[in-house]
Amino acid sequence: MAEHCFRIHPTGTPRATILIVPPLFEEANRTRRTLVLAMRALTADGFAALLPDLPGQNESLVPLEKVELASWQNALAEAAATIDGPLIIASLRGGALIDHYPKAAARWRLAPIGGASLLRTLMRARIAADREAGRTSSLDSLQAEASTVPLLLAGNRLSPAMIAQLGSAEIQPVAPLRSVTLGSGADVIAGTPLWLRAEPGEDAAMAKAIAADIAAWSKTCGIS
Amino acid sequence: MTEPDTVDATLRALLADVLGLGEDRAAALTADSGLFGALPEFDSMAVATVLTEMEDRLGILIDDDEIDGEIFETYGNLLAFSLRKVGE
Repeated sequence: MAEHCFRIHPTGTPRATILIVPPLFEEANRTRRTLVLAMRALTADGFAALLPDLPGQNESLVPLEKVELASWQNALAEAAATIDGPLIIASLRGGALIDHYPKAAARWRLAPIGGASLLRTLMRARIAADREAGRTSSLDSLQAEASTVPLLLAGNRLSPAMIAQLGSAEIQPVAPLRSVTLGSGADVIAGTPLWLRAEPGEDAAMAKAIAADIAAWSKTCGIS
Repeated sequence: MTEPDTVDATLRALLADVLGLGEDRAAALTADSGLFGALPEFDSMAVATVLTEMEDRLGILIDDDEIDGEIFETYGNLLAFSLRKVGE
């Protein structure tokens, strides 16, 4: 089943298409508005921009419980295959765990994070919620449970396969790649880590900085 | 800065990032300032995010059996826990 994909096109033929790979789980909601602002800035600069829904996320009709990390990697490869002209893949956070299948003229990653760290945070949210409800759980007890049955972690019902794949997922080396973090200095972007934020926010200046950095990197990679 | 000052500054910046407090509210936190249960933004997901970010930014490892409700009761408790972990 085809998933919804949010697209913005420039007037005329795009210089290239930027495929945005969103962060995973709740981090996608926290960053979506700023990502869309960045997409609009890229479109104003002559790029087409795409933000696909991952199966089981956002508007998808697929139950999350039926999804594995491999499903997301394949879904992105399919989304990339529909694109004509030069392709640039831009990933945020856990998006960098699923962005390496498609061939791309350039790749860009912001604050990439390993799967084990993401899974640990989700498990800790469950432990904190359990503690509040007067139940006792631990990373070990949840890991044991997750080997046989789906586990509800911070509102996400994840299958044993998804939990196993997420726990061992590492950022894959790709080229040509520009990897940036937040902060000040070289290879950084000024902004706020909205993906950590308990309540939704936006950072218009960071959105512009993201778009400018991707555009500059695409030029370095020979896209005019 | 001395190490306790660095830990204090790191912790305030981290809470500002996770809870969206803004620099002013983060700077105004005192040892008695309530966190979990007192700040509406501080839910179980925020607790989890704070723990993971504490590990990353302070270079510590936190076992889940070290965590009880008291650590997140006040800013003073969280700072004392962080200083102890950094000193280990």
